[in-house]
Amino acid sequence: MDIVCSPAGIVNPGCPGQGVMDIANAGFDCVSLEAGMCCSGFELEQAGHMSKEGRDRALILEDPSMLREYFRKMIDACRTRHLQIPIVRTPDLLRDTGRTDLENLLIRIGEACIGLCGEIGCGFIVIPPLFAGISSADIWKVNRAYYRYLAAAARRNNVMILLENQCRDLNGHLVRGVCSNSTAAAEWVDALNREAQEERFGFCMDVGVCSLCGQDMHEFAVTMGRRMKAAALRDCDGHHEDSLLPFTCAHHGQPQTDWLSLIRGLREIGFDGKLILRMADTAASFSPLLRPALLMFARATAEYIRWQVEIENLLKRYPFIVLFGAGNMCRNYMKCYGEKYPPLFTCDNNQAMWGTQFCGLEVKPPEALKTIPRDCGVFVCNIYYREIERQLQDMGIRNIEFFNDEYMPSFYFDRLKGV
Amino acid sequence: MLQVGVQTRNAVQDRDPAAGFRMLKNAGFSCADFSLNGYLTNTSLYRMQPNDFFDRPEEELYRFFTPHKEGAAAAGIRIHQMHMPYPNYVPGGGRELNEYLWKIVAPKSMKICAFFDCPYIVVHGLKLARQLGSEEAEWEQTERFLHFLAPMAKELGITVCVENLYSSTGGHIIEGPCCNAGKAAERIDRLNDQYGAEVLGFCFDTGHANLTGLDFEDFIRTLDFRLKVLHIHDNDGMGDLHQIPFTFSKTRENRSSTDWDGFLRGLCAVGYDGVFSFETAPVLTAFPDEMKEEVLAFIAKTGMYFAGRTERTLDA
Repeated sequence: MDIVCSPAGIVNPGCPGQGVMDIANAGFDCVSLEAGMCCSGFELEQAGHMSKEGRDRALILEDPSMLREYFRKMIDACRTRHLQIPIVRTPDLLRDTGRTDLENLLIRIGEACIGLCGEIGCGFIVIPPLFAGISSADIWKVNRAYYRYLAAAARRNNVMILLENQCRDLNGHLVRGVCSNSTAAAEWVDALNREAQEERFGFCMDVGVCSLCGQDMHEFAVTMGRRMKAAALRDCDGHHEDSLLPFTCAHHGQPQTDWLSLIRGLREIGFDGKLILRMADTAASFSPLLRPALLMFARATAEYIRWQVEIENLLKRYPFIVLFGAGNMCRNYMKCYGEKYPPLFTCDNNQAMWGTQFCGLEVKPPEALKTIPRDCGVFVCNIYYREIERQLQDMGIRNIEFFNDEYMPSFYFDRLKGV
Repeated sequence: MLQVGVQTRNAVQDRDPAAGFRMLKNAGFSCADFSLNGYLTNTSLYRMQPNDFFDRPEEELYRFFTPHKEGAAAAGIRIHQMHMPYPNYVPGGGRELNEYLWKIVAPKSMKICAFFDCPYIVVHGLKLARQLGSEEAEWEQTERFLHFLAPMAKELGITVCVENLYSSTGGHIIEGPCCNAGKAAERIDRLNDQYGAEVLGFCFDTGHANLTGLDFEDFIRTLDFRLKVLHIHDNDGMGDLHQIPFTFSKTRENRSSTDWDGFLRGLCAVGYDGVFSFETAPVLTAFPDEMKEEVLAFIAKTGMYFAGRTERTLDA
């Protein structure tokens, strides 16, 4: 699974040096290229009505072939910083757009973006479905023609087109829109691929849209399954469409996006696509002076989500496993992974537990870790991770790993008290 | 002619149920959704403090509800649907409480439903996805509950209706049980085939659908004939407010931010001929008591508007 940083809110395409440097210095390897940075929904709304006075060059919406030129500096800066561009995204119309006449323009922009993908060796492009002014009876017919047309360019440039779930603006209330019904969206992807006679289409799951529409993201991901090639991570309060850093929207200590459901879903389908971090609103609201630190934290956040999704990969890495901690986290480990990855034993600092059995495991003193096989992983099952890690390091223990039970595939109905 | 109903909560009082039903009739309603859930509230259950209302023998319960039944009949109000107390399972509630809810409260609710000659009882699916890990696993438990009720439903001639519910995280409402119309339709058909009777149907809750951004029209079209009853109410898309339709807007144009047109298109498409039943009890406490009759009349009028639009389309 590749983590991809969206440059929106971070990089100015006209002067990309610092933004790209911040992204690279934060440790990201990949960025996406968002055509919306050069052609916003507000601009699209004005298509055909914008004055040319005071401008020295055409807008993308006037001449989509200018796209390469607009992004040239940014692409060069990425190359210099060894940042890959594995995914491109076409611009979005405003959710409440009044423009029902832009289909041809969107096709031309789509083709230009696909061409750019081909030039820079980018394998995926997110092209949201058309919706403006299209009745529900015609929505598939119109989009089928749209995507079939774009498929030819995608084939020539060896690019996979990703559809994306949308919300629709119902007098200011964002509700489920095109491709937000995962069963229908999966059928669209399958039908397009059948017609293309190859896997030319896939899906990008916009987590922010799912959250705005109150959707069960586990169900969504499981239904999309192998069709899902990318997931756009972004937080919001569930009512306003923002692109915020994951876990930053919280109320009374609880996240407002259902990350539990998302992580469970991605884990269940063995998601191995692009994990795109979209945090334009968070990034833009921080001072450029703080942005390097913010991006470091953002990368850690995305890596944490990837780690949670791939938690089994960590368990698979060791032929032997020992746990540290004989409490609720150990209990949760045993519930979800105990059978598949059985630990040799667990240990605990609580002397009163030594020699007892906990969830079928013998509880030993920490000293017992000195006799475990060299290739045994020691998984800390206690939230005082760093304190225990230091204790184990001081004992000379190797292969120290952290386990975490916040996003388990299932939970007990109760929590043990006093352990 | 399509009929209009409203829940009895905050309108019909135990001390003089006949007066409450007369008030509903005078307001323009012909049906009522009997709020049996008011006798064992969800808040008391989540606090693990159930009352002893359902401890009474069945005969005593029938005696208790006889004035209600007679009052409704005298006023010309038909008890068309009823809400079973919920939840029927409290996670972490312990075996005693949960067995009580399944084995005592649920069967007695069914019997009370039959006592009122009421054809539909609305139940809540179990909210267990967080603990069990998936909607499918959650439904398995709901289905166990429905299998427990189904033989009784068949015998009593009652259709148990599941409704679309919500859950929440950080105060943000997200979909809960029965928010996938396709799955609901398949499950309803499977259970009904198994029992050879219409033991299971669906209650479409407009307020919950609005909170979870559902596509009203698509949802209703998918449910089709399985849609038996309605819970009509409105909200701001953020909280489960149970207010009068068309109350909320979010833009300067001041158009309703709830998809009432989609709702009616869906109902027309499936030829809905049931009752337009409102779940708007909180409206009656929000307005001054002195305005209760006028408020009820306005709710009824809104229902008649819905019914009229649907009927005109069906006739056409």
